[in-house]
Amino acid sequence: MEHLLTDIRVQVMRHMRTQIRMKIWIIINLIQPILWLTMFTQVFKSLSDLPGMEGMSYLQFFAPGVVVMTVMFGSAWAGMGMLQDIDMGILSKMLATPVSRVSIITSRIIASMLILLLQSILIFTISVIMGVNIATGVPGVLLSIVIVALLGLGFAAFSNGLALYFKRPEPLMGIINFVSLPAMFLSSTMMNPDLLPGWLDTVRQFNPVDYAVVGIRGLVLEGYIWSELWQSLLVLTVWALAGIAFGTLMFRKHAS
Amino acid sequence: MSIVQTSQLTKIYPGNIRAVDGIDFEIAEGEIFGFLGPNGAGKTTTIKMLNTLILPTSGTATVVGYDVAKKPSEVRRNVGYVSQDVGIDEHATGRENLTLYGHFYRLDGKTIKHRVKELFEMVELTDYADKFASTYSGGMRKRLDLAMGLLHQPRLIFLDEPTTGLDPQTRNHIWSYIHSLSRQMGITIFLTTHYMEEADQLADRIAIIDHGKIITIGTPGELKQSIGGDVVTLSNRFSANEERETFVKRTQSLLSGKPFVLEMQPIEEGLAVYVDNGESAAPAILSLLAGEGVEVQTLSVSRPSLDDVFLKYTGRTMRAEEGTATTYMQLKRRRGPR
Repeated sequence: MEHLLTDIRVQVMRHMRTQIRMKIWIIINLIQPILWLTMFTQVFKSLSDLPGMEGMSYLQFFAPGVVVMTVMFGSAWAGMGMLQDIDMGILSKMLATPVSRVSIITSRIIASMLILLLQSILIFTISVIMGVNIATGVPGVLLSIVIVALLGLGFAAFSNGLALYFKRPEPLMGIINFVSLPAMFLSSTMMNPDLLPGWLDTVRQFNPVDYAVVGIRGLVLEGYIWSELWQSLLVLTVWALAGIAFGTLMFRKHAS
Repeated sequence: MSIVQTSQLTKIYPGNIRAVDGIDFEIAEGEIFGFLGPNGAGKTTTIKMLNTLILPTSGTATVVGYDVAKKPSEVRRNVGYVSQDVGIDEHATGRENLTLYGHFYRLDGKTIKHRVKELFEMVELTDYADKFASTYSGGMRKRLDLAMGLLHQPRLIFLDEPTTGLDPQTRNHIWSYIHSLSRQMGITIFLTTHYMEEADQLADRIAIIDHGKIITIGTPGELKQSIGGDVVTLSNRFSANEERETFVKRTQSLLSGKPFVLEMQPIEEGLAVYVDNGESAAPAILSLLAGEGVEVQTLSVSRPSLDDVFLKYTGRTMRAEEGTATTYMQLKRRRGPR
């Protein structure tokens, strides 16, 4: 147990260090949410004239979506780091040491979580500076981060699992692109659910991304709508656990 | 007591590929044991079974006193592994790489600091300890890699093709480290290589492996002696292919059954003739061939090398630069008409 914690700690440090050292990565991650918040709100500006969306700026409506999108896109690519370790022979070298097996995938997921935590706080801060009013205040932001963390956990775990399964970047990249854009559009990320066509309203019930958006949007726009919140938390917990189960299974298969 | 002992160790990959096919060998503590064979012979698969990265399909292996299948963590704690591809993190400094592995090997913080310093001195990287590994040259990476395998003072270290792809000077440098590890620190070394010279220079004992099977095992001296006295190499290397084939065939039939000829083996440039005494056999061969009108373009007499040992047991030569074994037939085909 003591070894497990040390193993996780030193590897999380390694992954964080790798990220932080890439200056371009930091710059892009700072600029991207600002760009999304300003650009998309310009593109969809007139949406706030539609019935059901009137009375609020699109920015107010879209800010929760930006948090979710950033986290989803960020954590969906988490498996690339694992691929690099496989490719460079780092993973097999690690496996020849007594290092705890489970710590290798756990530390990657934890590092992804820490990064998305920082990203979410950053986006919320920028949103507030740009004039978004968060109905539930700081506690609401914290709860939002829990919600988005569960979403990201699932994505990061699935991504790592797929990396271990395919052992090559191309299929992983294909799947990430194939899944992430539809996951965003087949949800209420950009549009009020009441204005979505019926079939899409049904499809989004199966989309974990939508549960994160609905949960956080409620906290930002209205307040604590517990019926919605519990549903979001429950679905996203199942999503995260499914991801962890898949990731662990793939790792076991790879390591043996 | 032997530090490694295998019994009918076998690895079969899907598709019934017998990568390692029932091998038996023992390594004594303190020995440098060379595993020599062309690429794809089963060297890396054997190492991976011995250091618990993959499970044997059948057979057993005991490493540092533990069964690899039953007690993998005990094995890992006591062995070091330097893999073929340098598994270092390029986005980290040399020191960070070493420190990480110190934790993996369950050393405490103080010991890690101490060992890291010691190892940087040993592999002469102290000045580069805090530079990113991405700035290291190939030889420096290999030295860092070597240091990573030694952090926990293992009793046994596996070196999988430690000098492949390195320039001759760096290769000599690595050889001297390997030598001093064994002689000064008493670490047992299991070394795989497809360089004859490397095995010859370093190993106390050599096993030659081909197609997953150990063909022969012994000290370099013993292996060479098993061939007999000398090798007389006859060639007409300046001729066209068809002529060379005729030359080989005719020479073979003329020399067969002669009392001074122990064995013959066609090679790339002609024919290798194994004889008891090269100095007396060479003129005898020449006059015999001249009498029959066979022209020999070059002749050399040499002591047998490990190349000859490999050739004798497999009928093929090992092409060190490619690391693959080439049969005489393949060579002929590859050349084609000029």
